[in-house]
Amino acid sequence: MSIAQELAGPVFRRGPSALFWPRTLITGWFFQLKMQAQSGFMVLTALVQPLIFASIAMTDQQAGNRTLPLLYFALGAGIMGIWSTVVFGCGGVISWQRHQGMLEPLVMAPSPFVLVLLGVTLGTATVGLYSMGATLLWGWLVFGAHMHFAAPLLFVAAVVVTVVSLGLLGLVLGSSFVLYRNSNAISNMLEYPVWLITGLLVPLSLLPGWTHPLAYLLAPTWGVQALRAAAIGGDSAKPLMWCAVVSVAYLLLGVWLVRVVERRARQHATLNFQ
Amino acid sequence: MSGLALAGSNRSHFWRVFFIGGLISYRALFYWISPWQYIPTMLGAPLFQILFFVYLGRAAGVGSTNFFVVGNSIQICSMAGIYGMTMAIANERSFQTLSPILATPSNRLALFLGRGLPVLITALQTCLFGFLVSALLLDFRPSLPDLPGLALAVLVTSASCTGFGMALGSIGLRVRDVFLVSNIAYFLMLLLCGVEVPIGRLPLALQAVAQLLPLTHGIAAGRALAAGAGFLSTVPDILLELLVGGAWAAAAYLLFAYFERSGRRSGAFDRL
Repeated sequence: MSIAQELAGPVFRRGPSALFWPRTLITGWFFQLKMQAQSGFMVLTALVQPLIFASIAMTDQQAGNRTLPLLYFALGAGIMGIWSTVVFGCGGVISWQRHQGMLEPLVMAPSPFVLVLLGVTLGTATVGLYSMGATLLWGWLVFGAHMHFAAPLLFVAAVVVTVVSLGLLGLVLGSSFVLYRNSNAISNMLEYPVWLITGLLVPLSLLPGWTHPLAYLLAPTWGVQALRAAAIGGDSAKPLMWCAVVSVAYLLLGVWLVRVVERRARQHATLNFQ
Repeated sequence: MSGLALAGSNRSHFWRVFFIGGLISYRALFYWISPWQYIPTMLGAPLFQILFFVYLGRAAGVGSTNFFVVGNSIQICSMAGIYGMTMAIANERSFQTLSPILATPSNRLALFLGRGLPVLITALQTCLFGFLVSALLLDFRPSLPDLPGLALAVLVTSASCTGFGMALGSIGLRVRDVFLVSNIAYFLMLLLCGVEVPIGRLPLALQAVAQLLPLTHGIAAGRALAAGAGFLSTVPDILLELLVGGAWAAAAYLLFAYFERSGRRSGAFDRL
């Protein structure tokens, strides 16, 4: 088959069509995972920063008069790391592809653009798992946190659902931030408020009531509740279910936003507009 | 002949490079200067940082609100000091403008220190904002007679962080990814300098490291003033903070001079 015939055909659609979408997704996810693991900034975000925050929280906890278990803070700091990788890695995902000169080829390719982006955002959220492992290990080794998991299988399920949910939230961030030229500044600002209102280190009951509806819309709130319930004890089914529900909402919103952005960029010929 | 030997003797030339050169460098190299960057990064993030740690303290049942307000409101000056100075020096290399600058006969001290002044002003603005929002949202009320002392502690700490940032920026003349170094330094200072955790809670080795870092003594002075200890009792801490900052600034200048000389020898100023 000549190159012209190759290009005229469905280049990326060989093999059973049912496998096309999962294959595109998995390839994008794996490629992103490898790329992010090479980035010094991402390693800092996913490893060093969560360890520092976990150390602060656990030292304060040991000095204070409350009785929350250290595992509570180790898990919260782990999700903080995942959120940081998502907000920095996914927030500028479209802008980054544009900066690299990859946006036009990606939009032009036969693969649905949203599927490519989804692989990227899920890969970025998965890199955040480093922080979860690191904070648990740090808590155990340095602070003597008791690492007993009440429901290990539910814990693993909660980790998977939380990472997927944050990856889908990353898709929403990435596709909405593209309309804002200074998306990195928004990313800089979004770390602390989400850490705070989703109850990652501070129990929601200590926060003003008006923050609770906002917290319920955000995946980290349900993710950390599911993880804590599975690890420390409690009902993890309800937060897991809500984590899945908000994930579906993020997926629908993300797909819609990507379509809007793609269509507008094509109409106004601003796909590669910096 | 080395660039240092070419230092200009004309006093007006020195101040022109110091003020005008410093301002132009700041406008050219400080990423966050536009309001769209400045407001979310230099005001929004510090505001939420203060709130986050105040609530974390409440959750752990440790420290008072004032402990975290003073610690974080002073610490946020290091954002401008560290990142701003890193940008003001190391970005010359990233933007490939280092060689032309070092080819000029400008006084190196003026060239170097002039970049610190706008950064210092930015750091002060950030601190002031931190204290103002803390007064509005967290009921932070220092006593009026202690305000001048607190302002002095903030000024000295901001200058000290700027000196530390100069050192990191100078390292950026050689290290490829200096922002990684700056990021690690910034976050480690949260843990080590008594911002969120009383220094006495840290292992002894880390307590010793904390004494050599900016922020540590300035925050201690700020907290004492906010608690009404009186200015005189904080003078030693303020002087120590000044000493630490001066030492970092001197180290930064020596590093800058060393990297300039070695860059001239190897012809590798802009090598990325």
